[in-house]
Amino acid sequence: MQLKPGARTPKANARRQLMAASCALLGAAAARGQQSGTAPADSGLLEDWSVDSALAYYHENGRIRAIEPVVDVSKVTASGQALNFNATFDSLSGSSPNGALTSHAAQTFSSPSGKASHAYTTAPGQLPVDPHYQDTRLAVGANWTLPFTRVDQLSVGVKLSDEHDFVSVTVNASIAHDFNEKNTTLSFGISNEYDRLSPIGGAPVPGSDYALFEKTGGKTKDGVGALLGVTQVMTRNWLSEFNISVDRFKGYLNDPYKITSIIDGAGNTTGYEFESRPDQRTRKSAYWENRVGWSGQFSTALSLRYMSDDWGIRSDTAQLHLHWSFSNRDRYIEPTFRWYRQTAADFYTPFILSTQQPATGYESADSRLGAFRALTYGLKYAQKLPGLGSRAESEFSVRAEYYQQTFEERMAVPAALSGLDLYPGLKAVLVQVGWRF
Amino acid sequence: MIGQRALQALIFASLLSAGAAQAAPPLDIKDFRGRVVYLDFWASWCAPCRQSFPWMQAMEKAYQSRGLTVLAVNLDRDRADAERFLAQFHPSFDVRFDPQGTVAEHFKVQGMPTGLVVDRHGVVRFTHIGFRPVDESVYEDQLREVLAEK
Amino acid sequence: MRLKHTAFLFLLCGTATMGGCASLGVQPWQRDVLAREDMRLDANPLDAAIDDHLYFSKEASSGGRSFAGGGCGCN
Repeated sequence: MQLKPGARTPKANARRQLMAASCALLGAAAARGQQSGTAPADSGLLEDWSVDSALAYYHENGRIRAIEPVVDVSKVTASGQALNFNATFDSLSGSSPNGALTSHAAQTFSSPSGKASHAYTTAPGQLPVDPHYQDTRLAVGANWTLPFTRVDQLSVGVKLSDEHDFVSVTVNASIAHDFNEKNTTLSFGISNEYDRLSPIGGAPVPGSDYALFEKTGGKTKDGVGALLGVTQVMTRNWLSEFNISVDRFKGYLNDPYKITSIIDGAGNTTGYEFESRPDQRTRKSAYWENRVGWSGQFSTALSLRYMSDDWGIRSDTAQLHLHWSFSNRDRYIEPTFRWYRQTAADFYTPFILSTQQPATGYESADSRLGAFRALTYGLKYAQKLPGLGSRAESEFSVRAEYYQQTFEERMAVPAALSGLDLYPGLKAVLVQVGWRF
Repeated sequence: MIGQRALQALIFASLLSAGAAQAAPPLDIKDFRGRVVYLDFWASWCAPCRQSFPWMQAMEKAYQSRGLTVLAVNLDRDRADAERFLAQFHPSFDVRFDPQGTVAEHFKVQGMPTGLVVDRHGVVRFTHIGFRPVDESVYEDQLREVLAEK
Repeated sequence: MRLKHTAFLFLLCGTATMGGCASLGVQPWQRDVLAREDMRLDANPLDAAIDDHLYFSKEASSGGRSFAGGGCGCN
């Protein structure tokens, strides 16, 4: 299933999809239920419920900070059914880019609420960011997996996500069928999401003049998705998975807080307008993963993903996980490396030249829709500890990741702006501690 | 009839494992004739096996005097993994080792674990692929049915 | 057309995988390596969820995975 546990955009909105972390953790419950009808093989659990928890801290250079505790509890019943409940709490604060272009002049912006006290000014040569950004989000999900024959299982899940300006509900269902003595597994899943946005101050009319502050009320969007996958045991040491998926969203797909700068030939910002995206988006992706256990201590997982949508964005992702266990499998380290590249949306534009309005009328300066490369370097360390109560063991882990985005494809800018850093990119760090018991 | 060949395979397997840590004496065919055998195929990495062992222990205790023999054939490639598992359960029933899987292949094991109920004449009467605690009473009823026969 | 080409290649891999599935695979008692925690497709689900969250908020792509299959194949 699609895995988007919940958006954490700089401005708590423009969540295009919230297709389940319920899917992610749905799959986990499903896999556990399928595995054995009992708890995971070497967890030694004697209790009914297993708990997985983590606390993540995210820091994006000079901008956003976020704290995110997550907890996930699972149970497998005597008949092999799996139940899973999960909750994520997100607290973000900091400065969020509002989409406007860096300029030689100071720029003043009003806050989304229109309150004079929350207006802010950006110094010359600085990237315009809203410094008052703050958002908290609570997401809860539940999943149920039912093996209805020895080789078939059905999973259903629901996820609810709530923030002060956005509510989302997702439901999903999938079936999996094993054959060839469980060497091959076919799975098919669908999901449906319904989102309601209540932006502060109301949702702006797309493409309207920022100064006019034309806002309407709440908006909605909804999406459907489907996934078809095959998992194949290749050899005793090698497992391969291949999926294709498609999803379509309709409705208000704009980020209500993002604006685009209008500049003249001399590079002066003459005004701004609210962004305007199409009201439909269809994405297709193909995913291929290979896990190989090279020895008793060392295994690798390599995955490739290709995505393309009807906004003109295409992306390639390659991720490599290594796993090294030592001390008789009591400890392990997992280095990760991820390479990502995407092309820009057709209507992505970091600015609009006042002399030429965009042909389609669609425009957005949101960097998420731009052309960039991103690299992630990560390392995780985990250690087994004595378990709680009658549990045989627990696992404590610590993980850190460094994520860096570098922009490509710069648009030609008026000469006056050539000295400015218009595409600062992004550098972020994630640190996480986890406890599983 | 699978019975005779089954027992021959068991002899073969037990001869392979003779002299190993379990120190089981070479198997005599007469030891099994007249007894009902619960033949279980297990491995240390198989989670449902953790639930089947206490049950098999309970069955042995309850029905050994009535003619039940529990025989658990281990399929781990690495003997040390099997020993670690056994150290947690200390079974009193017979454990054999088949690291190459020859006996498992002979009995066409389709899933882990697999339990076969063999009657006093050496015929396989019931096969369960997988072990589910919720089905324990069904498994026990099958044993009782076969034990009741002459 | 790049999408068509790449999608076709992926489908070919997938089909070849499935088509050859009768000869691919292992006996039920040979799943010791696959039963390991690190060999599960959903190993570390919380890490994956937190990462996906990050990438979803910074990138235009998301998702694509599922988790069924592999593992010890027990029961």
